Amino acid sequence: MSPDVVAGFAGASLPGSLVATALGVALGLIVGMIPGMTISTGIIVVLPLTFVLDPTLSIALLLGIYVGGMTGGSFSATLLNIPGTPSASATAMDGYPMAHRGEGGRALSVAIIASFVGGFFSFLCLYFIAPALADVALRFRAPDLFSVVFFGLTVICTFAARSPVKGLLSAVIGLVIVTIGQDPVMGTARFTFGNADLLAGVHFLTALIGLFAVPQLVDNMIAIARGQGDTRASTRVGSVLPKMADLKAMRLPAAIGSVTGAFLGILPGAGGPIAAFISYDYTKRFSRNKDQFGKGCVEGIAAPESANNAVTGGALIPMMTLGIPGDPVTAILIGALLVHGLAPGPLLFMERGDFAYTVIFSFMWANFFNLAIALAGVRLLVKLLAAPKALLMPTIALLCVIGSYALRNSFFDVWVMLGFGLLGIAMRHLDMPVVPLLLALVLGRQLEEHMRVALTGSSGDVMVFFQSPFSVLFLSLSVISIVWSFVSERRSGRPRPAPSS
Amino acid sequence: MRNRNVVAALILIALGVVYGYLTAGLPKRSLPDTPDPSFFPWIITASLLILSSVLLVQGLRGARDAPDTAGGLRAPTVFLVLFVVYVAVLPFTGFVLASVPFFAALMWLYGERRLGWIGVVSIALPVILVFVFRHALQIPLPTGVLAGLLG
Repeated sequence: MSPDVVAGFAGASLPGSLVATALGVALGLIVGMIPGMTISTGIIVVLPLTFVLDPTLSIALLLGIYVGGMTGGSFSATLLNIPGTPSASATAMDGYPMAHRGEGGRALSVAIIASFVGGFFSFLCLYFIAPALADVALRFRAPDLFSVVFFGLTVICTFAARSPVKGLLSAVIGLVIVTIGQDPVMGTARFTFGNADLLAGVHFLTALIGLFAVPQLVDNMIAIARGQGDTRASTRVGSVLPKMADLKAMRLPAAIGSVTGAFLGILPGAGGPIAAFISYDYTKRFSRNKDQFGKGCVEGIAAPESANNAVTGGALIPMMTLGIPGDPVTAILIGALLVHGLAPGPLLFMERGDFAYTVIFSFMWANFFNLAIALAGVRLLVKLLAAPKALLMPTIALLCVIGSYALRNSFFDVWVMLGFGLLGIAMRHLDMPVVPLLLALVLGRQLEEHMRVALTGSSGDVMVFFQSPFSVLFLSLSVISIVWSFVSERRSGRPRPAPSS
Repeated sequence: MRNRNVVAALILIALGVVYGYLTAGLPKRSLPDTPDPSFFPWIITASLLILSSVLLVQGLRGARDAPDTAGGLRAPTVFLVLFVVYVAVLPFTGFVLASVPFFAALMWLYGERRLGWIGVVSIALPVILVFVFRHALQIPLPTGVLAGLLG
């Protein structure tokens, strides 16, 4: 076994790391569960903490929230028929009818165990695939890197939006914003209007706080103004101990969900909601009890719940090996690492292999803690479903300001955060997705840098992008993903679930 | 209510034109046969104009939107105005002095009506946050006019 693996396991298993992981899981379960709060909001709450904590602890905390949040969403989906997170939408279809029959505890135990199976499977994928992929990625040169980043961005656009044109436009708006500041090759000031604050550009974490938290604060306020803010419901849970028959019935759906989720997690932008619905659909097709779906069957809960947790490990693969985030949460993870001078990508495995494995094993621990804390604490946790919004939301508003200010001790960043909040509200009103914009902010600089370095190396000859097999592969995949999304939009015209976390 | 796609497309075409104009004014600095700093912005300008034109065509062809249900928009507008005022006064008053009234107003907007409870929480929470961030996390928040007291 490589010394990095041993060091990584030891790092992730230190008491401090374990406590951070467990706290993250508990917080994730809570924010995932409360309707009107998403995993991204939960992470925004702890973001200022991650600037000062040791990177190992920061990552353990954030991974805990990611994993816990995916499971927490199923609690409110099951008990209230309101998915706490978009990823739990499919779970409500069978979870709620089962809870309605008075079997809430049984539904939650299936959801929690399926989440663990999906999450642990995706840990195995992460453990075995990420280092191998990082080895391959080390051979990438500027044209390949450009093509990979371009592929990541186009896939996000086509998955994240109901309309591919709007997805691509959202990413282009992100690229417009990313060109503000010094250009990445020659350091020329662009679009700064002589303002010194703009020279360093817009930090994507500041943008993320505004884009995700501010519209959510407004949405919650509208819900309360319309009298929909009350989420108190009968939260009688009953026994959460799993039955042997249920465990047997979960085998096939959990297998389908795990594989679908981990695979779709690797594709940037696909995310939890899509994986959950696809695995629900497949499980229904393969099941002998098709007529039981939608009426509260075990398989209908196990498939989407294993899938949305399997997405988490899958999404960490491109994030760690290529530096490409697949959703807002992995984008924040990249941000949290960059704050500490650790750039995710193939070099992370070569130069800080111990840390790369610490991340992987922290993810493993997060899944174990998720199983234990969710099963043991479910009765207590569901009481928080009635948490007062009048206390939570103003606190989040203050933490948005603190988070954006603390990043660079700058009031300018607070204004930028607020500006992005307004942009997020406007985009939502115009039915444009914000995820591609955010990920363009994360990837835009790399995209330009790799493109210009490649073209400088080839004296401006664009054929440089078609000479390496890797580059050709990723460019072809980009074209296929764009064409596919236009074709599928024409064929179905059916709105797809938006994959915000 | 106009079709949202048309509105979005027109805004983005305008953005594309302005961005293209600004790109044309960027300094030309590069080695021979290599892309200069305006190379990437030109690609973005072209993408923006092409994609928003496609969206405009889609919007003009598509059906009109159903009218928005406009109910309950007063509170969010008040919230956003409060937020702007809060951020504007923050550097001068410091975190605590600005946050107490802001927090109290938000609690009211989010439906809390017990005035005593609003008073207690809106004073306690900002103070607790300042102490947690300053002393436990070593993240100094702006102190403003209370610099001597909290610093």
